[in-house]
Amino acid sequence: MSKRVFIVLMAALLGVSCTGADDAYPIGDPVVIETPLGLPEVPVPKDSPLTADLIALGRRLFNEVRLSSDNTVSCASCHNPALHFADGLAVAKGIGGQLGTRNTPTVLNAAYSVAQFWDGRAATLERQAGIPITAANEMNQSHEACVTKLSADEEYKAAFEKAFGPGPITMSRIEKALAAFERTLLSGNSAFDLYKYAGNKNALSEAAIRGLQVFTDRNKGNCATCHVIGETYALFTDGKFHNLGVGMNSSGELTDMGRFNHSGVKSDRGTFRTPSLRNVAKTAPYMHDGSLKTLPEVIAFYMGGGNSNPQLDVEIRPLMLSAQDRNDLLAFLDALTGDIPSGEELHGRKR
Amino acid sequence: MTHRWVALPLCVFLILVSACSDKSNIEPDADEPAYFKIDPNTAGMIAGNVIFKGKRPAPKIVDMDQDPQCAELHQQSVYDDPVSVGSEGSLANAFVWIKQGLDDKKFEPPTDPMVIDQKGCWFGPRVLGLQVGQTFKVLNSDPVTHNIHPLAEINREWNQSQSPGAEPLIRKFSRPEVMIRVKCNIHNWMHAWIGVVDHPYFAVTGPDGAFQLNNVPPGKYTIEVWHEVLGRKEEQITLVRAGRSETIIEFKGE
Ligand code: HEC
Ligand code: HEC
Repeated sequence: MSKRVFIVLMAALLGVSCTGADDAYPIGDPVVIETPLGLPEVPVPKDSPLTADLIALGRRLFNEVRLSSDNTVSCASCHNPALHFADGLAVAKGIGGQLGTRNTPTVLNAAYSVAQFWDGRAATLERQAGIPITAANEMNQSHEACVTKLSADEEYKAAFEKAFGPGPITMSRIEKALAAFERTLLSGNSAFDLYKYAGNKNALSEAAIRGLQVFTDRNKGNCATCHVIGETYALFTDGKFHNLGVGMNSSGELTDMGRFNHSGVKSDRGTFRTPSLRNVAKTAPYMHDGSLKTLPEVIAFYMGGGNSNPQLDVEIRPLMLSAQDRNDLLAFLDALTGDIPSGEELHGRKR
Repeated sequence: MTHRWVALPLCVFLILVSACSDKSNIEPDADEPAYFKIDPNTAGMIAGNVIFKGKRPAPKIVDMDQDPQCAELHQQSVYDDPVSVGSEGSLANAFVWIKQGLDDKKFEPPTDPMVIDQKGCWFGPRVLGLQVGQTFKVLNSDPVTHNIHPLAEINREWNQSQSPGAEPLIRKFSRPEVMIRVKCNIHNWMHAWIGVVDHPYFAVTGPDGAFQLNNVPPGKYTIEVWHEVLGRKEEQITLVRAGRSETIIEFKGE
């Protein structure tokens, strides 16, 4: 194969594999994000190293209402930093007060998820970022309109060029910046982390220690089977999709088919990604439809064995928990509230 | 080429499979049958009393400590009294129904629902009858979560959680089944029983132990009385045109 042919071929391959990647490669020195206690190193894609300028741009875009058609809604409207990057509502409220059908998950620690959204339909944070913008009941704006609006702003043009080098503002640049910022939204260092990963045996109350026991004991709570606690870190998720029977209407039919909606696989009916439980005490209401208002309600839901349906997960079955077990479990879930990133976690260390 | 020959039957198969199982969550609707018309001029009544003789088991105190929120709903101790006997031995909560004799007459299910309420972490009523196809409505009047679980064997078994303030559940049973035990998956002291019958001739005795089956066409019948502790008893009854049959059914204790 001649060299020329090879180069053309490679170029074609690159073009195919990274459509839209254009020249959205961040410039400048990569920075390292400090890993909070209890979490693993944050995964960063090869084609989008984290730089200080990129993160700063992402932060700005995250709070940018001009990403919505009537300039009223930003990412932060729903992923509100003051509410642990969630919104406290059962289902999300977008442009013009329109309601969605799903509960807003926190974006804290979303960087660790195997796939984004309750049903995992976006593979990466980058792919996710463009979706709420065009969603009619969220931000309701075309990607072209976003690019046009931001391009009209000299400050944005400068900020994008600082992060990516010369070139126009593109959707791919917007997505990379948003995703980069989200990779800094890590929350760990909870009382549980101090207890489990820093050997501080006084960090947890007696009740929370017993609650940890209930949480992990397969014959009691059996929670850790899905909300996994590892030896060196805990994401409180197995990264898998399970059916708990949440979202059943009064006639016993599932109202949201979850992962099945895009996989088409029958066993995926009504399955949703196991959410992390970090900061869970701060992000009520719960479940993909926000149908459970409090943590005691969640615990009672699990005690009842969920809602029966053909795809109910085998690990979901009625639990025998005493009043104390429930209180202990609650104390444990309370101990999962961690530090909220302040924006100072950039180390400035060079890789 | 070969691919296509494999793919086509496979597609057909997949479509069939998915079409068949699509409604797996919904009870199958029976074909609309020709309903039997009761002739008011010839129909009669089967009435009676269910009584209990002997030493009744003592009511037991219910321990609700497992859910203190339930315990708080009661000022006084709650007693579980399955063999509830009134004056002169009248037995409550007995389920009476025509077990045989209606041949294959089909009866239209009533339009009003039968309601069970979860209140005070207790099912009310404890025993209830329902016609096949009639709406079964489940309320949660409590400030706690319940998870009602009819342990059906002939009908589909199901359980569903109801948070405080949740909407009523609306279900139906598609086949006769006497009786279905009902429990709450969360509160193990909660029990109820449902009798599902494919005709309107069933009743649950009240504190006076009496029952009445009205508008019964004349004929020879087997009626059955069921009680959760005392078991089942049958009685043969002949009802003449526009007649009235009176019967006493007696359960004996130790
Ligand atoms: C109208 C409210 C709303 C707005 C605005 C919004 N989101 Fe979301 N976000 C949601 C909801 C609801 C979900 C879950 C949707 C689903 O799973 O189908 C979600 C999911 C996510 C997730 C996945 C989290 C997880 O755990 O799966 C990320 C990441 C995210 N949003 C980032 C963003 C970014 C970036 C923006 C701005 C471009 C944004 N969101 C704008 C409501 C909103
Ligand atoms: C079979 C796997 C599995 C097991 C076991 C399990 N969970 Fe979950 N958990 C999930 C999934 C999946 C969801 C999301 C379900 C949905 O919304 O449909 C979830 C949701 C939750 C939520 C709501 C989180 C949020 O942000 O909305 C809490 C709290 C929770 N689980 C706690 C527990 C506790 C406590 C236990 C043990 C008693 C437990 N889980 C056992 C898989 C599991």
